[in-house]
Amino acid sequence: MGVNMEELKEKVLAFATKKAAHKSKMYIKDLYKADPDASPRQIKKAANELVKEQKLEYFSSGSTVMYGVPGFGKGIEEAFEE
Amino acid sequence: MADVKKHDTPMVDELKSGPWPSFVDDIEQRGFNGKQACLDLLGQLELSYKHKETHWKHGGIVGVFGYGGGVIGRYSDVPEEFPAIAHFHTIRVNQPASKFYSTAFLRKLCEIWDYRGSGMTNFHGSTGDMVLLGTSTDQLEPVFFDLTHQMGADLGGSGSNLRTPSCCVGKARCEWSCIDTQDICYNLTMTFQDELHRPAFPYKFKFKVSGCPNDCVAAIARCDCAIIGTWRDEIRIDQEAVKAYMGGELKPNAGAHSDRDWGAFDIQKEVIDLCPSQCMMMDGNELKINNRECVRCMHCINVMPEALRPGLDTGATILVGAKAPILEGAQLATVALPFIKMDKDNDYEEIKDFVDKVWDWWMEEGKNRERFGELIQRQSMQEFLRRTELKPIPQMVKEPRSNPYVFWSAEEVEGGWKRDVKTFRARHAA
Ligand code: HEM
Ligand code: HEM
Ligand code: SF4
Ligand code: SF4
Repeated sequence: MGVNMEELKEKVLAFATKKAAHKSKMYIKDLYKADPDASPRQIKKAANELVKEQKLEYFSSGSTVMYGVPGFGKGIEEAFEE
Repeated sequence: MADVKKHDTPMVDELKSGPWPSFVDDIEQRGFNGKQACLDLLGQLELSYKHKETHWKHGGIVGVFGYGGGVIGRYSDVPEEFPAIAHFHTIRVNQPASKFYSTAFLRKLCEIWDYRGSGMTNFHGSTGDMVLLGTSTDQLEPVFFDLTHQMGADLGGSGSNLRTPSCCVGKARCEWSCIDTQDICYNLTMTFQDELHRPAFPYKFKFKVSGCPNDCVAAIARCDCAIIGTWRDEIRIDQEAVKAYMGGELKPNAGAHSDRDWGAFDIQKEVIDLCPSQCMMMDGNELKINNRECVRCMHCINVMPEALRPGLDTGATILVGAKAPILEGAQLATVALPFIKMDKDNDYEEIKDFVDKVWDWWMEEGKNRERFGELIQRQSMQEFLRRTELKPIPQMVKEPRSNPYVFWSAEEVEGGWKRDVKTFRARHAA
């Protein structure tokens, strides 16, 4: 699949930033919607690279990991409510 | 004595009075030796007993750079009362396969942890990791640096990652091991470094490797993908040793039950009648096994280890989908591949191909926080077989009629499901 990683990262970041305004923590599954043509593996790769670049951040309960955009933060309890 | 303060903890202290060694003693002792965090921990525990609710805050964004697992953020929600545990993050450290250590390694690890953390450890967590309990955010990177640069150790998995693979002691010490559990465990760990250190999945995913069906790491009950050693040829029998067991010269179960007098060893009662597939018999003085019916339960081998041994054509059974009871109750794993050779020379390609298909399906279709076994439950065994390109086989059936998962699909039937109702009704009244 000819997905360009840089483009995909931009899409994931734009999607996450937009979403962060009303839901500050998201599951990897939410991020799949950033680009329906990309495979789950490509999305997770893009998201993990964005974390390395400190444009996204991980939020972990210990059992599950969610992604957030630095600067957007809501309560921990809220994030883990389905 | 160091300058530490013990909180008033009557309920916690009561735990010291029981017949078993108490964690309270150990933690308190370390506290009196200079770790206020240990005493604050017991103080907060007392408060939790009083309030009947936890005072730990759940989760956070802590971690080490480039990793999305291995550090589990914990904060006290009463930090004014217990300042030494205001931060109390857990660090999982990937254990060596089969948990062999040198004393030098352990001493060094404890030194690092005494200096940079609470001094409390848990050997080992249920994932298999060495667990370092309790440190503050500013210590995470230094601990990680020391672990990687001084110890040659790495963090384990947590969160929605592959969890640290673990294995039984295997061929290192156990003659029953049908596979090289340590090599398999290490190989999977190194192959899937990205999945181990960075979140990839809807939820956790665990590999566990047992060398034989005794399954000392309880893979069948605890992991999403169990690799359990087995054999497909015949149980090796030493008829002379069988006679020695019957004559009492050899102790059954290697003497494990000799603290009490159970009477003379009775091969019929203690072995043959307990064979779950009833495939053993005495033919005169000879023990006979119908290996086609043997389900490799290990019972006879466990009772008479000098007389019976696993076969020589060894490999592994791969099972999937075990989990603890969050949704739908606890579940044991289901057989996916009844036998594969675990081939070092091709880098265990067969199981990795299978795992790739499992992950593709789960990453696409798994719901948030849905274990792989739950996905099979929700979307069916048949869908699992389709996505992993496996053929249904009798070993996958739990018992007749309880999981009839093999159905025809429209593509497999001439004309599919479509039919002409009119011509049908011409022959059958409505
Ligand atoms: C070619 C003809 C038939 C086929 C292929 C067929 C197929 C099946 C199948 C696949 C099951 C489920 C078995 C299970 O999951 O345990 C079933 C159950 C059943 N069938 Fe048939 N069937 C046929 C004809 C009939 C006829 C003619 C009757 C009655 C007049 C009948 C009565 C039943 C009943 C009562 C059950 C339920 C049994 C139970 O749950 O214990 N079937 N059948
Ligand atoms: C070509 C004919 C038939 C086929 C292929 C067929 C197939 C099936 C199948 C696949 C099931 C579901 C079993 C399961 O999933 O556990 C079933 C259930 C059942 N069928 Fe049939 N069947 C046929 C004829 C009949 C007839 C003629 C009767 C009654 C006169 C009947 C009565 C039942 C009953 C009572 C059940 C059980 C329903 C339940 O357990 O809730 N079937 N059948
Ligand atoms: S699972 Fe089998 S091979 Fe591994 S230690 Fe236990 S008995 Fe030995
Ligand atoms: S291993 Fe179990 S099933 Fe096989 S012969 Fe021995 S007791 Fe029977």
